[in-house]
Amino acid sequence: MEWLDWSLISSTIRMVTPILLAALGGALCSRVGIFNVGLEGLVLVGAFSAIVGNHFTGSLILAVLIAAAASVLFSLLFSYMTIGLKANEIVVGVAINFLALGLTTFALRAIFDVKGAFYDKDMAGLPRLEIPLLHDIPVVGEIISGHSPLVYLAFLAAILLYIFLYRTVTGFRVLAVGMNPVAARSLGLKATRLQVMAILLCGVLCGVAGAQLSLGQVTMFTEGMTAGRGFIALVAMMMGQSHPLGILASSLLFGFMDALSIRLQGFSLPTQFTSMLPYVLTIAAMFFLKEKNRGASNNQ
Amino acid sequence: MVAVKELCKSLVQPLLAVFIGLLTGAVVIAAVGESIIGTYQELWKGAFGSFYFFSSTLARATPIMLIALGLALAFRAGVFNLGAEGQMVLGAISATLVAIYLPAPGIVKMLAALVTGIAMGGLWSLMAGYMEAKFRIPLLISTLLLNYIAVLFASYLVTEPFQDKGGSAALAQTVMLDKSIWLPKLFAGMSVHAGFLIALAAALLLFWVLRFTPFGYEVKMLGQNPFFAQYGGIQRIKVMLTGMFASGAFAGLAGTVEVLGSHYRFVDGALTVPNFAWTGLMATLLANSNPIGVIFTSILLAAFQTGAMGVERNTEVPLELASVIQAVLILFISAKFSYTWWKQRKKKGGDTHGVA
Amino acid sequence: MVHRLEMREMTKKYGDFTANDKVSITLDAGEVHAIVGENGAGKTTLMRMLYGMEQPTSGEMVLNGKPVVFRGPDDAIRNGIGMVHQHFMLFGEFSVAENIVIGYEPSKSGFFQRKEAVAKVRELSEQYRIPVDPLARVASCSIGEQQRVEILKVLYQGADIIVLDEPTAVLTPLEVKDLLKTIRHLADSGKSVILITHKLQEVMEVADRITVLRGGKVTGSVAKEETDVDDLARLMVGRELQQLSERLPLDGKPLLQVENLTIRDKQLLLDQVSFTVQHGEIVGIAGVSGNGQSELLQAISGLRTVQEGTVRLGGVDVTNQSVAKIRETGLSHIPEDRYLWGAAKTESVEENALMGYQRKAAYNRRGVIARDAFRRVVQEWVKRFAIKTGSRQLQEQAGNLSGGNLQKLIVARELGHETAFLMAAEPTRGVDIGAMEYIHQALIEKRNSGDGILLVSSELSEILALSDRILVMYKGKIAGELSRAEASEEKISVLMAGGSIHGSSQRAM
Repeated sequence: MEWLDWSLISSTIRMVTPILLAALGGALCSRVGIFNVGLEGLVLVGAFSAIVGNHFTGSLILAVLIAAAASVLFSLLFSYMTIGLKANEIVVGVAINFLALGLTTFALRAIFDVKGAFYDKDMAGLPRLEIPLLHDIPVVGEIISGHSPLVYLAFLAAILLYIFLYRTVTGFRVLAVGMNPVAARSLGLKATRLQVMAILLCGVLCGVAGAQLSLGQVTMFTEGMTAGRGFIALVAMMMGQSHPLGILASSLLFGFMDALSIRLQGFSLPTQFTSMLPYVLTIAAMFFLKEKNRGASNNQ
Repeated sequence: MVAVKELCKSLVQPLLAVFIGLLTGAVVIAAVGESIIGTYQELWKGAFGSFYFFSSTLARATPIMLIALGLALAFRAGVFNLGAEGQMVLGAISATLVAIYLPAPGIVKMLAALVTGIAMGGLWSLMAGYMEAKFRIPLLISTLLLNYIAVLFASYLVTEPFQDKGGSAALAQTVMLDKSIWLPKLFAGMSVHAGFLIALAAALLLFWVLRFTPFGYEVKMLGQNPFFAQYGGIQRIKVMLTGMFASGAFAGLAGTVEVLGSHYRFVDGALTVPNFAWTGLMATLLANSNPIGVIFTSILLAAFQTGAMGVERNTEVPLELASVIQAVLILFISAKFSYTWWKQRKKKGGDTHGVA
Repeated sequence: MVHRLEMREMTKKYGDFTANDKVSITLDAGEVHAIVGENGAGKTTLMRMLYGMEQPTSGEMVLNGKPVVFRGPDDAIRNGIGMVHQHFMLFGEFSVAENIVIGYEPSKSGFFQRKEAVAKVRELSEQYRIPVDPLARVASCSIGEQQRVEILKVLYQGADIIVLDEPTAVLTPLEVKDLLKTIRHLADSGKSVILITHKLQEVMEVADRITVLRGGKVTGSVAKEETDVDDLARLMVGRELQQLSERLPLDGKPLLQVENLTIRDKQLLLDQVSFTVQHGEIVGIAGVSGNGQSELLQAISGLRTVQEGTVRLGGVDVTNQSVAKIRETGLSHIPEDRYLWGAAKTESVEENALMGYQRKAAYNRRGVIARDAFRRVVQEWVKRFAIKTGSRQLQEQAGNLSGGNLQKLIVARELGHETAFLMAAEPTRGVDIGAMEYIHQALIEKRNSGDGILLVSSELSEILALSDRILVMYKGKIAGELSRAEASEEKISVLMAGGSIHGSSQRAM
C-alpha cells in the first residue's frame, strides 16, 4: 500500500478545493430551486481569467478577484436567461458551458497567441501557506499546512455557508424560496432578488474554484481544463444533499478519487483506466444513494 | 394562410438568434482587430464558396444531423439524453472492430458494421435509461459521466490492443478498413459520402414516425405530461427506454457512418474534437426537436464550422469563432423569446405584479 | 359610519372576459362576512384584488376611511389583511414556528432568533385558542393543523381582516366544527373574517352577513336572519336546477368485484376493501378526501400496485395488471385532477382527445393514425357536450379551455370508449353549473344503458343526487353502506367522521 501515504491525503485536500467550491455554488443555486449545469463553464472562465489577470497585473489577489468577477458576469447571464426570460435552466447551463469553452479557447489564441495551453514559467502561482504551529506536528502538519490560501478559503466557505443558511434570516428565506416559490411570493418575499443573489454568489465561488485550478498547483491554462470537474461538483452537491457539511464530505471523497487516479498512473495501469476512475466511482456511489436521488430526475 | 403565418412565426425565433449570433461574432472579430465584412466573407466562402467546400459542409453535417435526430426523439419524449458523444464513440469503435475482424465479404461486413454501431450506441444509452428506471439515477448525470467512460475506453482500445502497429509512428488508431467496406463518396474527389443520404433518410423516417404513428403520439404525450400518458395506458418506462435506445442508436450510427465514410478507420479523438455531439444537441434545440428542421439546422451549424476553418486559414481570426457564435445562438434560442412574447411584454407594461 | 373595509364597484376584466363587475362589499370589526357563489362566479378574483395579487381594472378599496392601493401581497399584509389560501402556502420542511414567523422573523444582527419565535408562537396560540405544536415539522401535520398554522401566520402578521378561501373543503366534519368555533372567537376578539365558500350550511351557522356573487356580479347582500339555504342557492344559481333523467330499474349482474384490497406503503392506505358494482348502477364513494379514495381508484385502474386482494372486471382478474390492459378489458376513467392526470395543457384539444384511441383498430390504417376519421368523432363530442373551444377549435390548446369545458372534453373522451365500467373521480370539481348538469346527465344516461359507474366525490350533494348505493370510506376502510332510500346527509357525515349508525350494513357486498 505504498501509494497510500500522507501526501496522498495532502493532494486530496488540494484537489478537493475546486470541486468543493463549485459544489457549494451549485448548492446555493439548488437551494433557490435552480439546477445549474453550467458550473463547468463558470469554473473554466474563472481558471482562464485568473491566468489572464495574473499575467497582466502580476498580483495574485487581483487575479483571483478578476476570476471571480468573470464568473459572476457569466452567472449574471445565466440568471437573466433563467429567471428574467424564463428559459429552461438545463439548456442555458449547457449553452454557458459552450460559451465558456469557445470564448476561453478563442481568447487563448487571441491574447496569448498559443493553441492548447498557456504556460509561463515566470508566472508566480498561489503561495503555499505554512501555518506556524501546525506545520511542525509530524503527520497532521504535512496534511493541513502548506496549501494555497484558496484551499483554506474553500473549507471556510463551507462553514460560512452552513452558518448563513441555517442561522441567519436571509439564509432562511433563501431556503424558503427554493422549497416553495409560490408560497414565498404569496408572502411578499423578494424571491427573484434572492434567486439572483444566490446565482451570483455561485459565480464567485466558481470563479475562485477556477483560480485554484489554474494557479494552485502548476500555473497554466489548458483548453477545457475543467475536464468534467464541474459535473463532478454537481454530483458531489447531490450526494451532499445540497447541505454545506454534506458537500464537504462528498467533495472530499471525490477529491480523494481524483488524487488516487493520478497516483495510480505511475503503476503501468493504462492511463485511460485511471482517468476513468472518478467517473466510474461516481456512478457506483449513485447506486448506493438511490433513495436520495432527487433534483435532476427526469420528468421536468 | 394560417399555416404559412404559423411557419413564419416559428421561424422568427431561430432567425433572430442567428442574427444575434452573427452580431456577437462581429464584436469578437472586431476585438481581435480584423475586418468584420472580410471575415464573414471568408466564413461564407469556407462553407459554400465552392462545390468542394459545400460538400465538406454536407459531410460535416452528416454526423451532426444523425445525432440531432436521435436527440430530437429523446427530447420529444421528455428524456434528457446528454450522452450522445459516448454513444457515438462506442458505436464507431465497435463497428470498426467488426469491420476489421469479421470474416465475410465486403458488403456483409459493411452491413454488419452498421448494425453493430447502431446496436452498441443504443445499448450504451439504454443502460443509462435502465439505471434511471430501476435505480432512479438521474439521466442527466449518468449520461454525462458515461460519456467520459466510453471515450476513455475507446481511446484505450486503440492505444493498446487494437492499435495499428504497422506504421512508423505509434498513432492511436486502428488499421485502415478494406476498400470494400467504405461508404461510397457521392461525387468523385468530394468529401460528402453516402452517409449524408442515410442521414436524410433517417430524418424523413423520424418525421413520419413522430407525426403519423401511434408510437410517435405516445412519445409526444409522454414528453408533454408523463402522468397523463401513464393514466391513458402509455407505458412510461417502455417508451422512455425505447426512446433512449433509439437516440443512442442514432448516435452510434453517426459514429459508424463517419468511420465508414470519412476516415476509414477509428482514430482516437477524431469524433470528439470536432464536437459533433454537442453541435448535434444545438441543432436539435435550434430546430425545436423537429426532424425536418434538424436537417436545416445541422447544415447551418456545420456551415459555421467549415466556414470558420476557412476563416482561420485566411485571416487572423481563430476558428473558435464558430463556437462563440453557436453558443450565443443557443442562448437566444433557449429564451422563450418570440415576436408575440415581445408584444405582450410591451402591452402589459407595469401590470405584472404578483401573478405567481 | 366608517366601515373597517369597503370595496367599491370593484371591476376586473381579462381582455373581453369580465371576472368581477362593479362588486361592492362592506366589512366591519367583529363581523363574519361570507362571500358565496358557484365555481367561476368571481369570488377568488375579488379576494386576489384585496390581497394585492391582482390590480382592479376599476373601483377602489377604502380601509378605515382611507383609500388604499395594494401593489403586492406585502402591501396588503402591512395593512392588516391576512389571506388563508385554499391551497396552503406552507414550507413543508420547516417547523410550525418557522412557517408562522417567516418574513417577519425575530432577529438580532441578521441572525434568526428561533427560540424567541417559538415563544411568540406559543403566546399567540394561547391568546386565540388555536392549538399548534411550534416545533413540529409542517409536512407531518394534519390538514387541520396546517390550516391552524396558516391562521396563526396571518394573526402573527397583525391581520385585522382575515380572509379564508374555501377552508372546509379538506376538513373532516369534526375539524369543520372546530374551525367554525375559531372563526366565531376571532370575530368576538374584534377581528373581521371574510369567508369564501359554497357550503351554504356552514355559512348559515357562522356568518353575520352574506354577499352572493353570480357571473361576476352581486346578486344579493343579506344578513343571516333574512335568508336561508334555499334562498341563497337561488341567488347563486339564478334558476331552478335541471332535473336529472328518470332512473331505470337495476340489472343486478356484477361488473366490478373488489375483494380484500390492501395497500401498504409505510402505513395502511387501503385496508381490506371489498365491494361490488353491478351493471346499471352508480355506486358513490363518499368521504373526506385523503381517506383512501385516490388509492382505491389507482389500484383499480392499474396506476398503483396492491399488496393483497383482487379486482375483477367483468369476471376477468385484473389485479395489478398494466393500465393499458385494464382499459382494454373495459374500464374508462375520469381522473380527479384534470390538469395533472387528465390532459396535457400544452397540446391541442384534438391531441388530448386522442388519448387511448391511438392504437384502436378503428383509427389505425396500416400503422398510421387516421386523423380525419378521428377528427369527425371529436367534432361530434364538441357538439353533444357544447364544449366551447374558441376560434382555433380543435387546435386550441387544452390549457386555454375553461375548467368546465376541459372537464366536458375529458368526460366525452372517456364515455367515447364505451366501456361497461366507468370510474368518475370528482367529476364536477371546479366546474360551472352548466357543465355540471351536462356531466351528471351523461352519467345517468350511461347508467340507464346498463353500464356500471363508480363515483368518488367529496361533494355530498353530488353523491346523493347520483348514487344508487353509497359507500363511505374512512381511514382506508369502507365504514358503511347505505342504499339510496336510507341515505341522508347526517348519516353519511357520521360515517365520514368515523362514527357508526344503527341499521347500516358495516360490510358492503
